[in-house]
Amino acid sequence: MTSKDLVLENAADRNARFERDAIVFMDQLYAAALRYTRNPEDARDLVQDTYMKAFASFHQFEEGTNLRAWLYRVLTTTFINSYRKKQRQPLIANNEIEDWQVEKAQSHTSDQGKSAEVEALENLPDSDIKNALSELPEEFRMAVYLADVEGFSYKEIAEIVGVPAGTVMSRLHRGRKLLREKLKDYASELGYSTDKGSNNVDGTSKEVSE
Amino acid sequence: MTFYGVKEIGCPQVLASLIFIIEDATEEIERQDEIVGHITTCLQCAQELAHERFTQSFLIQSLRRSCQEKAPQGLYESIQNQLLAAFAGSGQSTEVVTTFSMTEISIEIDEFGNVENHEVQIEQTQIQRIEFTDSSDGGEK
Repeated sequence: MTSKDLVLENAADRNARFERDAIVFMDQLYAAALRYTRNPEDARDLVQDTYMKAFASFHQFEEGTNLRAWLYRVLTTTFINSYRKKQRQPLIANNEIEDWQVEKAQSHTSDQGKSAEVEALENLPDSDIKNALSELPEEFRMAVYLADVEGFSYKEIAEIVGVPAGTVMSRLHRGRKLLREKLKDYASELGYSTDKGSNNVDGTSKEVSE
Repeated sequence: MTFYGVKEIGCPQVLASLIFIIEDATEEIERQDEIVGHITTCLQCAQELAHERFTQSFLIQSLRRSCQEKAPQGLYESIQNQLLAAFAGSGQSTEVVTTFSMTEISIEIDEFGNVENHEVQIEQTQIQRIEFTDSSDGGEK
């Protein structure tokens, strides 16, 4: 007969560790919560709920693994389970994975189209960029935010959001594409033409002689 | 070039796979060698990849610049207060996890010489919380 005694971490030490290691991510989590909920009050509540949930299950968190990713996972699950229901946002279609790679016969962009897009992006104010992001469907918005702002890999995002890696890839692909289209719209409202024919900056359209 | 009846990779397939290359996830694409090979020989696809990479890094910069909100005043304090209440609930205790495991092996040989083997595994886990009555607040650990 064998007997093993494992003295686990003292609760007081664990509390101190939580305060020391987890609270530093508050600003980041709040910015993410703002993107998720699109409203400061809900974002605030979401961050608070996230910390309480994270604290309650902190003993399950393995020290040495990625605490930041774990906190984002708690944030995302909390959002999906409670806030999303409240917000009643229509979800994107179920067949999102199957047809994304064949959705459109893709073709090459013209050189002018390329430089016009970059120029338009360069001149957009932060508020337009935030607005464009907030107009994306929720799943796309989360994937793009987690990848492009937070720098998580697609595999980490799959863990955080709880979907297969292929789905993350599809959401990233479509989300970024949609975001760029929206940014182009904002840019053309500001007078930056993103048409293939011309890329003038002053808003007056250039005559294109045939 | 067509081999084994498989159609040669064309520009549309390559363009649809660019995200995997940008995300450094080429292991996720089918026929990755052909796709990578295509890019080295097709100038237009190579330019498209370069443009996608450039635009993507630009997009990342713009997004990061715009999404840098700080948590509002008071959020830290209210989280802190809620945590303090939760800490009080979790108490000054140490958990002791005790696992007993026991294997009972019995071998029976009957009158005809047949051997019968029995193995029984018994396991028990106990979690004990030891509360500290020491309430000194000298900051001692």
